[in-house]
Amino acid sequence: MKKLLFVIFLLTFFCKFAFSDEQQIIAMGDIEYGEYLGAECVSCHQQKGASEGIPAIHGMDAEVFVALMLAYRAKEMENPVMRMIAGRLNDEQIGSLALYFSQLEPPK
Amino acid sequence: MSKISRRAFTGLAAASVGTLAFPSISLGAVPKVVVIGGGAGGATAARYIAKDSGGAVHVTLVEASKRYYTCFFSNIYLGGFRNYASIGHNYYGLAVNQGVNVVHEWAVSVDAVARKVKLGSGEHLSYDKLVISPGIDLKYDKINGYSAAVQDKMPHAWKSGTQVQLLRNQVMNMKQGGTFVMVPPPNPYRCPPGPYERVSMIAHQFKQSNPTGKIVILDPKPKFSKQGLFEAGWQKHYPGMIEWISSEDHGGLKNVNASTMEFETDLDTFKADAACVVPAQRAGAIAMAAGVNNGDWCPIVPASMQSQADENIYVLGDASVAKSMPKSGFSANSQAKVAANHIRGALTGSKVFDARYSNTCWSLIAPDDDVKVGASYVAGAEAIDVESKFISQADDTSETRAANYQESIDWYNGMTADMFS
Repeated sequence: MKKLLFVIFLLTFFCKFAFSDEQQIIAMGDIEYGEYLGAECVSCHQQKGASEGIPAIHGMDAEVFVALMLAYRAKEMENPVMRMIAGRLNDEQIGSLALYFSQLEPPK
Repeated sequence: MSKISRRAFTGLAAASVGTLAFPSISLGAVPKVVVIGGGAGGATAARYIAKDSGGAVHVTLVEASKRYYTCFFSNIYLGGFRNYASIGHNYYGLAVNQGVNVVHEWAVSVDAVARKVKLGSGEHLSYDKLVISPGIDLKYDKINGYSAAVQDKMPHAWKSGTQVQLLRNQVMNMKQGGTFVMVPPPNPYRCPPGPYERVSMIAHQFKQSNPTGKIVILDPKPKFSKQGLFEAGWQKHYPGMIEWISSEDHGGLKNVNASTMEFETDLDTFKADAACVVPAQRAGAIAMAAGVNNGDWCPIVPASMQSQADENIYVLGDASVAKSMPKSGFSANSQAKVAANHIRGALTGSKVFDARYSNTCWSLIAPDDDVKVGASYVAGAEAIDVESKFISQADDTSETRAANYQESIDWYNGMTADMFS
């Protein structure tokens, strides 16, 4: 979990400076499509947030979301479920999911 | 009952990010969806149609039970890792938060021409679209000597509920050093790794309360789901306690005797002190009553989960032939979202997106030793095809296995919220 937080921190930090792929991917997104695709995510990721097992994604910063999904798609992060999920998402779909989840209320 | 025409079928398969034509629904009337079955398929479908249509579709859920005990995690309860109440859920959230009309009755028949569902009370519910998600019925008579009348002696515990509590009680009270016989079902059946996780959980319980107890598995199959992972786990955690006997070695179960607790095979007659017998399965009876089955199961259109027999009926979960997806709660939940999107599109003109399915099954072998298998799927012309898959590795670190267990607990909470909140 600490490793994951560190990665998120690095990715967030990086995103502040690079005018990035992430922003281009977000620009391709469609919220309605993101809501449909996101139904797959919420079988596991709960709105109210979670323990150390499955992290909350509701209200996640869109650029962080995209960076994480790209890292899973490139198999740079470990979890096999997330590698599988991200592995079949194209840029438009990742952008759509990022837009959808970023505008939801984060866990309290 | 009309078959879906070739043209309609291709049209549906091609309808990706597009809008379907409106069917013949009178203007001004709120279209009606009836969902039969309040499990992972039905509850999810009812919730998503109601939630996403924001009142534009009237959804009625027909489910006999007022409290639903999940099959998934019933093994975790059997192993003593959580209490029975923790796997029970009610329909308050669907009724109050989502505006679903929850009817606690049995659906007894379907008039597919008049589009009406008859309830046990004799009342009728009319529908524009019907979702049938009844889960399984057990084919008791496929095992000589086994029947509903003796399921208290040899619980199947394959539909959760009281049967699982009874099985837990029998596991706890089995005589010291006794033999527990497990009879898994033949393919295809609900929850492919389930019988072997169940054996693991019973072994875990025996290790603490009955360390000289033995478990014999009389399998009607020559191999099983996650076999290598389970067998390695049994060797590691329960050496000498579990004996799996393949159908190739025992030659088939000839007879069971619930009075003497004997299991007769070509190899030997096994005497049990406690047992779990899970018979062969088929789609729940209402699917047969609706005429959407072909034999034991219900063929579907891979792009939408519509019945191949009737375009106004969708069949979800265990009852469907969703090849290559396993019969699991996760699969049913995934299928429900595809169907909900499709139904809403047909009734309100909302966008219909490409079908995409996924499944993951976690199995607990021992405390903090949890393995998982999963796949993602796309709708092919004939079947739901595997796109990619994964399975836990024999050389996973103990941290990974422990993390899998934590993940499964969070999944349980996410999944049940996705069904019932």
